[in-house]
Amino acid sequence: MKNDLEKLAHKWVKSKTEEVDTQGEYYCQTRDVFEARNNKIPEMLVNKGMDEGLAYLIYSMIGELGNNSFDHNLANWPNVIGIFFNVEYDGESGMAVIADRGLGVLNTLKKAAPNLNNDEEAVELAFTKKISSRILENRGNGLKFVKNNVMDKNLVLKFHSGNAQVFINHNMEIKHTGDRLNGCLAALYF
Amino acid sequence: MALESYNIKDLPEDELIEIDFEGVKALTPSWADEVITKIAQKFKNTKLVNTENVTVQATLKTLREYSDLKI
Repeated sequence: MKNDLEKLAHKWVKSKTEEVDTQGEYYCQTRDVFEARNNKIPEMLVNKGMDEGLAYLIYSMIGELGNNSFDHNLANWPNVIGIFFNVEYDGESGMAVIADRGLGVLNTLKKAAPNLNNDEEAVELAFTKKISSRILENRGNGLKFVKNNVMDKNLVLKFHSGNAQVFINHNMEIKHTGDRLNGCLAALYF
Repeated sequence: MALESYNIKDLPEDELIEIDFEGVKALTPSWADEVITKIAQKFKNTKLVNTENVTVQATLKTLREYSDLKI
């Protein structure tokens, strides 16, 4: 079930523009749609037995990931506007997937850090380092917030942007992949 | 931002500002950095109270580590 959701998101990001599913239940064209759906997540998680503190933490992390997509691609979406978003939870374990077909981390951060050479350097900056830039205003801390919480709560995050793949549990690993993904795909396992 | 514009704009910089998180269910760094960090930078006597909520703790930790929140 869980891997299927991640595969669906991967396929959604990699599809040709004319073949992207924008009619399905996982598609959020606008921030309003995304936030309305995310606002229902804490209650769903708590009703299935999750501690309320963790439920709202997951909600907050999803909010940062989804809003990153809308903030950083505002008026610059390369083709399909919006994100793929869904959460599954069976009372014991679950996952949230947020994906976009946007500019990706490297293109976004290059505005603030033009010396970045590749996707791996870009995701390392995004997840681990303070970014001093008026260009990004105060939008540069969402991924660090997610990383800190994943490590503190023993969760798992898989993040893919461009040719960089990030895996976070107690540690963070960044590796190069030949499977290029234009945009971002975040899969949060809890 | 309405808070900053209308309620505290004209206060002296040594005014005691108390930000109370009682009843907060979720806080995120993108919002908090726009409001709490900026208030704390402007008003040196800013106090944060009732910060026990998990998301409040996590957000403040992130802003202290990666942004300019010094309190």
